[in-house]
Amino acid sequence: MATERYHRQVILHGFGETAQLLLSKARVLVIGAGGIGCPALQYLAAAGVGCIGIADDDTVALSNLHRQVLFNTEDIDKPKVRIAKKRLEKMNPEIEIISHPVRLERAHIIALLKDYDYVLDGTDNFESRYLINDACVLLGKPLIFAAVSGFEGQLAIFNVADKQGQRCNYRDIFPIPPQPGEIAGCAENGVLGVLPGIIGTMAAAETIKLITGIGRPLINQLLQYNLLSQDQYKMNISPGDDYAIAQNEDDFLKMTDPVFCALEVGYTEIDAEQLLSLQKQSTIIVDVRERHELPILNEQIYKKAPMTEFPTFLDSDIEEENMVFICQHGIRSILAAQAAQEKYGTSKNIYSLIGGIANWKNYFLEATK
Amino acid sequence: MEIDIISFGKISEFIKNQRVDITGISDTDALKIYLEKTFPEISQMKYKLALNENLIQQNTQISGNDLVAIMPPFSGG
Repeated sequence: MATERYHRQVILHGFGETAQLLLSKARVLVIGAGGIGCPALQYLAAAGVGCIGIADDDTVALSNLHRQVLFNTEDIDKPKVRIAKKRLEKMNPEIEIISHPVRLERAHIIALLKDYDYVLDGTDNFESRYLINDACVLLGKPLIFAAVSGFEGQLAIFNVADKQGQRCNYRDIFPIPPQPGEIAGCAENGVLGVLPGIIGTMAAAETIKLITGIGRPLINQLLQYNLLSQDQYKMNISPGDDYAIAQNEDDFLKMTDPVFCALEVGYTEIDAEQLLSLQKQSTIIVDVRERHELPILNEQIYKKAPMTEFPTFLDSDIEEENMVFICQHGIRSILAAQAAQEKYGTSKNIYSLIGGIANWKNYFLEATK
Repeated sequence: MEIDIISFGKISEFIKNQRVDITGISDTDALKIYLEKTFPEISQMKYKLALNENLIQQNTQISGNDLVAIMPPFSGG
């Protein structure tokens, strides 16, 4: 056990053999082998966490490489979990690495999580994050939550009792998931590679602190980190009472977030060709961009209803059978389609123009003439 | 009465960190109404307030020089 490999951390005052032994006995599941998952995995493996699971169903893409530091150019198109496992085993052959090449789904997440003591969430979407949170609450698993947006990061530990015996989870902060399109992810918004590197490394540090009992892990606290200013803001989380989480597995399997099921049945994303053919039918096309945004479109053809005035638009009567929402990049139009879908259900056909006006410039340049 | 406001993520694009005079506003419920009226963008968003580094779960009194943080959820990884 007392290998030279861990010598520098074992000699640390307040760490020692005891902490190293705790690490070697710990089982940590890292979900998402992306910008946050990669650095977290590297440090957890290097530190000697005894068993590390990696769950991800994605393959390596060229645009991943500036932040997903476990992968090389030659790994493009290969499954992330396979490459990550290979790299980590080379880095530390003394630990066990288990790959789970799956996208977490409600039906099997419980079985997967049961094999682990700690869960580190480095996924890139709200649907996964709420699913992981709810499963961890049900199983009472400590959850290390790490997320980024723009130049900022969020870090927290959920489902671990503090000194008062209180346990908080993600829904205590944000009870309901945002609407699709409400908060842009890295794919739409961009991310500087080093940011998830920092947040992922901090998540690994919190995991190690939690396992070994050193320091003050972020239990029931949310840390906001700003890369541009190096400002950090920490706030205390307390339990909320405006949400419900399944208390047993049967209920968990039946549980749905309205936001996400609407995604499956609600509206359809279309391209400019489909928009053109819809225009020949009973269709209203609604431009949800703000009034100052360019290009200005002909309001006779494209009804103006900026998102900031959208509730007023929704209150008005619409006669057309089809509603197509458009915006600059096809993100806000999803939010609009979602809201319209909530009001009209299946009584109207609802569409959002994929990629927005920016994606179909030629089409709209023609249309503005 | 003046308080300090700090904001995060997308919300910081339209609510800059600032010191504001909120005379007439004495609790977080009233502050929320004021914020959503002054910055209509946030009324369309999920966000949470923290008062002096504590998450607000129910209406809470605000005093002069308090620090109010406004944060949206992040999902990127």
